[in-house]
Amino acid sequence: MTRLNTNQILALVIALFSVGYLVMAFQIRQFPLPRPIDSDLFPKVLGFTLLGLALLLFLEKPKAQDIPEEPSPEALNQPLLLRPWSRVVITSLAIIAYALLMVPIGFVVASTVLAFGLGWYYGYRRHGVNLATSLGVVLALYLTMTRIMEVYLPTGILPI
Amino acid sequence: MEALNNLMYGFGIALQPMNIAYVFGGVFAGTIIGMLPGLGPISALALMIPITFAMEPSSGLILMAGVYYGAIFGGSSSSILLNAPGVAGTVATSFDGYPMAKQGMAGKALAIAAYASFVGGTISIVFLMMVAPMLSRVAVAFGPAEYFALMVLGLTAVVSLSDKSLVKGLIAAVVGIMISIIGIDLQTGTVRFAFGTTHLLDGIDFLVVALGVFALAEVFYMLLRGGGGKEPERNAIGSLRLSRREVKEIAGPIGRSSVLGFFTGVLPGAGSTIGSFLGYSMEKRIAKDGDTFGKGNIKGVAAPEAANNAACTGSFVPLLTLGVPGSGTTAVLLGALLVMGISPGPAMLVDRPDVFWGVIASMYIGNIMLLVLNLPLIPYIAKILEMPRPLLLSLILIFCMIGVYGMSFSVIDLLFLLGFGLMGLGMRLFGFPAAPLILALILGSIMEESMRRALQISGGDWMVFVDKPISMWLLIIAALSLLLPLVKKVMQRARS
Repeated sequence: MTRLNTNQILALVIALFSVGYLVMAFQIRQFPLPRPIDSDLFPKVLGFTLLGLALLLFLEKPKAQDIPEEPSPEALNQPLLLRPWSRVVITSLAIIAYALLMVPIGFVVASTVLAFGLGWYYGYRRHGVNLATSLGVVLALYLTMTRIMEVYLPTGILPI
Repeated sequence: MEALNNLMYGFGIALQPMNIAYVFGGVFAGTIIGMLPGLGPISALALMIPITFAMEPSSGLILMAGVYYGAIFGGSSSSILLNAPGVAGTVATSFDGYPMAKQGMAGKALAIAAYASFVGGTISIVFLMMVAPMLSRVAVAFGPAEYFALMVLGLTAVVSLSDKSLVKGLIAAVVGIMISIIGIDLQTGTVRFAFGTTHLLDGIDFLVVALGVFALAEVFYMLLRGGGGKEPERNAIGSLRLSRREVKEIAGPIGRSSVLGFFTGVLPGAGSTIGSFLGYSMEKRIAKDGDTFGKGNIKGVAAPEAANNAACTGSFVPLLTLGVPGSGTTAVLLGALLVMGISPGPAMLVDRPDVFWGVIASMYIGNIMLLVLNLPLIPYIAKILEMPRPLLLSLILIFCMIGVYGMSFSVIDLLFLLGFGLMGLGMRLFGFPAAPLILALILGSIMEESMRRALQISGGDWMVFVDKPISMWLLIIAALSLLLPLVKKVMQRARS
């Protein structure tokens, strides 16, 4: 059996997505009064267009720029947590944690911990400079937003 | 005479002390952000939107215009100093700018870039002043059918002129429109694709998508490509002075490329990248010493720089007069305007002359700021490039987070930001252009509204789009813009 190329795999994913989208588009409620064009028409057109484009993508030969480069052997030999994809996954998890903890612990603490922690994780070893920069930038942003622009940011565990 | 009076009115607004401070702040911040590899004008503008939210619209737009110019200039600086163009529009600058830097003439290359940007920007502002009001008068006659056709053309032009796959560009545009119609349909009150949550009733804010697909995706991409990897070679700045002979040598290329750049920028989708490449190749052909292009020829820096700045100004023409952005960057600007409660279009010249002429006047001031204040600061601003990459990446992340949270006060939007960041990374890895997505996101709901209004007026007759000559021609051009590259490809294949 011939192996599918990158574009064909992407096309199948997009086709699946467009089918799901079309199913939802067909469930859009009709407006009670008759109108020349209702809320469901545009989404249906979009769904079918995407399905058609997925078909075209399936037939298109991938170019060099369509295939992601393999990470260097140097990067792959690093410990699991420091490999390129691990960095993306851990950063994503850190963002999720930040989103969940920002209100309870406050903007300043959560943002400083995130900036400092990621800086350290990405390989910056001058911890004093890292902490000073992270705290300085976060405080500057916090004060600008809350004092000058009068935008409320959660204070959390800090008194102000 | 009328234009001059209006311009004076604009200067009255732009020269208010607070607005001068905003222009300077915008140019300065834009230069810094534009200089950071990977972060171009789109990211710079998106990061600035939360700041402009509470401002007077004219001041907000003045700040944004400053950021835009600054980011383009900043991108040129990293092209020249590091051979790492932050944006596609400054790639052509690196062809001769980086070789000049390697020869110890980085200061000279930066000065040429600043002078060329200044002249290119100034010449094109004069053109903008002349063209925009004329086009506004024509655009008043546009009905919903013409607007729909114009938006289709804007989208297809951006897709067809991208250097990536046409099909992938179209897919990105369709997905952008799909995102734009999430939430309550304002014409019927029907809820679409909200998955039963109240959070999606108002749709997804474009800032979440813009910051995710551009800035956060760039951070992820840098992490994948080894963020802390080998640092590029840095060169000494050297003197910023130009001799009289050098000034004479670059005058012609700057003038020609400015005019060429402006008209390229006006065309939807063309923008600064094509403008700068056209300017560069035109000068290479004209120049007697064309064979030294690519080896550090000063004309090779002047031409693309004048052209890309002029194209930036040119791209304001469709945005301010028709309310239809011609590029990803102006789409973000349109989004910012809508956030501030302003709908650009033909009526803006009459309804909000303070914004229209204030922005035009601030472009002059922004250009002067760029030259007078930014240029001497370049050696110091360049120190930003020495910031360790790990620290830089973590700070960009924080800027994205606060940008989104400060706008919506919703932690769910932070999760959406992450989702769009990952989507942007996927798009980048698999060769999907991001500009059509962002443009479609901005235009999608307006496009649907125009289409439905046109059909309501015609009683559901689809021929309304081809019965009207302007709309018919716009749709024909849109179809040709997609078909021509395909025909070209088929012919190339047949030949080979």
